[in-house]
Amino acid sequence: TEWNVSVWGKRRAFTEHIHKLADLVSEKTGGEFTMNISYGGLSKNRENLDGISIGAFEMAQFCAGYHADKNRAITVLELPFLGVANLDEEVAVSHAIYAHPAVADEMAQWNAKMLMTSPMPQYNLVGTGEPRDELAEFDGMRVRATGGLGKAFSAVGGVPTSVTSSEAYQAMESGVVDTVAFAQHAHLSFGTINQAAWWTANLNPGTVNCPVVVNIDAYESLSDAEREALDSSVPEAIDYYLSNYGALLQRWDEVLAEKNVTKVMISDEELAKFKDVAGKPIHDAWIAEMSAQGLPAQELYDLVFKTLEDTRAN
Amino acid sequence: MDSIEIGLWVTGGMFLLVVLGMRVAFAAAFAGLVGLIWIFWAKKGYDPEDFTWALTVAVKTAGQVPHGKVSSQALSLIPTFILIGYLAYYAGLTRALFEAAKRWIAWVPGGLAVSTVFATAGFAAVSGASVATAAVFARIAIPEMLKVGYDKRFAAGVVAAGGTLASLIPPSAILVIYAIIVEQDVGKLLLAGFIPGMFSAVIYAGLIIGLALVLPNFGPPVKGFTWKQRFASLPPALPIVAVVVIIIFFVYNPFGGDAWGTPTEGGAIGAFIVFLMAVFRGMRLPELKDALIETAKLSIMIFSIIWGVLIYVRFLGFADLPTAFSDWINSLPYSPMLILICILLGYAVLGMFMDAIGMLLLTLPVVYPAVMALNGGEMVSAADSTFGMSGPMCAVWFGILVVKMAEFCLITPPIGLNCFVVAGVRPDLTVQDVFRGVTPFFIADAVTIALLVAFPAIVLWLPSLA
Amino acid sequence: MAGHASVLSDDSVLSRLDRGLESVERKMAFVSGLGAFALMVLAVISVSGRNLFNEPLRGYVDWIEAAMPLIAIFGISYVQRTGGHIRMDIVVGALKGRPLWLAEFLTTLAILILMVLLVWGTWAHFDRSFDMSKPNWSRDSSIDIGLPIWPAKLVVPVAFSVMCLRLVLQLWGYGRAFLLGLSEPVAVPMVLSAAEQAALEADQVQGHD
Ligand code: NA
Ligand code: NA
Repeated sequence: TEWNVSVWGKRRAFTEHIHKLADLVSEKTGGEFTMNISYGGLSKNRENLDGISIGAFEMAQFCAGYHADKNRAITVLELPFLGVANLDEEVAVSHAIYAHPAVADEMAQWNAKMLMTSPMPQYNLVGTGEPRDELAEFDGMRVRATGGLGKAFSAVGGVPTSVTSSEAYQAMESGVVDTVAFAQHAHLSFGTINQAAWWTANLNPGTVNCPVVVNIDAYESLSDAEREALDSSVPEAIDYYLSNYGALLQRWDEVLAEKNVTKVMISDEELAKFKDVAGKPIHDAWIAEMSAQGLPAQELYDLVFKTLEDTRAN
Repeated sequence: MDSIEIGLWVTGGMFLLVVLGMRVAFAAAFAGLVGLIWIFWAKKGYDPEDFTWALTVAVKTAGQVPHGKVSSQALSLIPTFILIGYLAYYAGLTRALFEAAKRWIAWVPGGLAVSTVFATAGFAAVSGASVATAAVFARIAIPEMLKVGYDKRFAAGVVAAGGTLASLIPPSAILVIYAIIVEQDVGKLLLAGFIPGMFSAVIYAGLIIGLALVLPNFGPPVKGFTWKQRFASLPPALPIVAVVVIIIFFVYNPFGGDAWGTPTEGGAIGAFIVFLMAVFRGMRLPELKDALIETAKLSIMIFSIIWGVLIYVRFLGFADLPTAFSDWINSLPYSPMLILICILLGYAVLGMFMDAIGMLLLTLPVVYPAVMALNGGEMVSAADSTFGMSGPMCAVWFGILVVKMAEFCLITPPIGLNCFVVAGVRPDLTVQDVFRGVTPFFIADAVTIALLVAFPAIVLWLPSLA
Repeated sequence: MAGHASVLSDDSVLSRLDRGLESVERKMAFVSGLGAFALMVLAVISVSGRNLFNEPLRGYVDWIEAAMPLIAIFGISYVQRTGGHIRMDIVVGALKGRPLWLAEFLTTLAILILMVLLVWGTWAHFDRSFDMSKPNWSRDSSIDIGLPIWPAKLVVPVAFSVMCLRLVLQLWGYGRAFLLGLSEPVAVPMVLSAAEQAALEADQVQGHD
């Protein structure tokens, strides 16, 4: 069996688990089951789920925030201030939500089945000018942040500004935005770190959730041995991703020092204020909106926190 | 049959359809769709029962492309740049520019022809399309040159060649298209075109002055303008300066401060200024309506090729042909510079028979990765590279080179579009006349291209500042 | 390269249908042009809002992306009617009479097959983003402010359907020209080839000199 896998951009920390998975699967099946990973050749990133639904390729990665209406159930994972502390917790929470029947149902409408997540650390801000470490200073700040994060910054007077990720560098340079919210690897690959004077080390407002899915028909037509090889390789691929991203995070502090970027620590008091306005109210609004659409929103929401508790207990 | 063979057959078929006269946009889309069906069916071992499945998947995959690819903020520059050009015509900017150029520089040998070159260069700063520039100046500059005794063929040649400057000097629709296809920064490419564009203009002017000094009975200098007349000619042409300054400031602030916005915004603000100017000069609703319909027609023509070719490119993605081609090019036992020069010569030949935009769109998906690989990869540093420039800079340099090649092809027989347009506007000139008149400019262009290849700094200096 | 083309007309049913469809197509092209104008206005609002009031246009990119299919595709049929889609006419330019109409008929037929399939494919693309049971009927939304995407996706199959009608009329026109051996058929773009154009202009010059 040969599978086509659709991802986008360039090979980076964010796609390493897919390469690892391909290696493992091929190894375990003696080269019977291979994956052909294509960066942008098979689909546009925001249409990967469509491609899976059509059956044009067998496996793909996408981000929930690209198109909330395609994947309403998992947008719970992109709510601001969920309090996810590290990548291990992000994996646990994501996989718990992916296993929920409401998510499986919604994905089945796209002929898709969740395979694994691509955990991303919290989207902290890099900014130009004076460091902003108090909530009051977010008032009138032009910030490049999409979806739930954008809403969070609006709640404290920030001005979310539309620029594409590839224009983020230029937008910062030109003052179209004052700050950009990305994960560390994206600050590196889109060059926004090169424009930065400061970086919020502990704002941790939330992140983007990017699952890897497979086409259901393709999955079901695998031989038992192939399916077993695929399923059993997921934990190992995720472990590989985590250790690889861990190394990148370690390098991050060096990068900050090298580029002379100030590490901004925000006081607990200020953080609590931010969470008050941008956390709970946005969570409640999400639960109300999604419940009205017939999703078990409260259940999904509670599952996040229950999983976090369980993970920390272990 | 493996997917690469399918890729080659389909690509051959597409060129056959194009040669047979099928509209380029639809020939590419048709080939791409057939290729997708083929490749999906091959995946199922050509089982007759699976043909319907292959057809459905292929059609739905192709059906994603027109909306998906056209919905792009970067591509929105194309209609904006085209609109600027049409509005500039109604704003009287063309005549104002020509008049100013004439009063200031027509005193040199070959004066009016040199003035025409610089006026087209100035108009290039608001016009994104070469053909439109040539058409406009054929109406304005040729009669004046004929009046003072220029050879009519040479006069037409100057306009046809001058028109090509519009695609190098920003704004430029074709540079935007290149940036989209190769996924590089539009702003850097637009900046990069500026100096090579001016450089081409200077070489054209040098050629004309040289000819005027050598040939007897060449067009005489035009003298006798007073300083008062000269300064009086400036205000009507000023909006051009305003637009240039704004577009530059939106891409890059030369004084080291913040740029004012993104290139997309800069283009649109430039268009707005020209629009206000046109309204001020008496453009009313019927003219605006005409300008909008003409903008729509040209934009849709370009976008149809874009999505049509991208259906073919989607098929290439499944066939993995670009990788195979790139591997092949890099396995050739010749020096990378020789291969690059052969590629450029290939464009010169192809461009003799094809339209510039169609040519770039059809070939870049395969050729660009190969050129990047020649240089050492997309992310290579200048120190490790073959051509002595980083991956992104190589993308910019190659972009300017192929656009200059494409522009060169606008004045080469048998299908040099600019020459046809000039002949079309001027009933007293045949296409053969224009081709004959434009011949000296082949030499100028060959010199320019050789210099851009030999001294990449001409292209890369400005974008390396930004 | 196909430049300007004229479409002849008479009192036949075909020609009347041609002109009827043309008035619709021209309006659609005008909408495309208005879209380009709107882009410009949008940028002015966005830039001045940001710089004067620190209030940029929310979802500027999303709005541009929503407008693009209207600008880039909606008027496609009008361009086909006037023969404005570029092509290489080295071969067709050398043909005359029946062989020419046959060649035009075949390439037009190929385009019609393509467009019918693309109406299906682009409709499926729209249909995946459309769900009457969801708020705003939306099953696909934009990245920044969550605009429903189905209206922009619907533009494409609509424009392509009109294009199919146009192609059917052109097939009729070319088929008729082929069967009757016409030299100046109605309802199809009379594209002058490069050679013809040049010859025509040469004649004119001789006439004037
Ligand atoms: Na230009
Ligand atoms: Na040519």
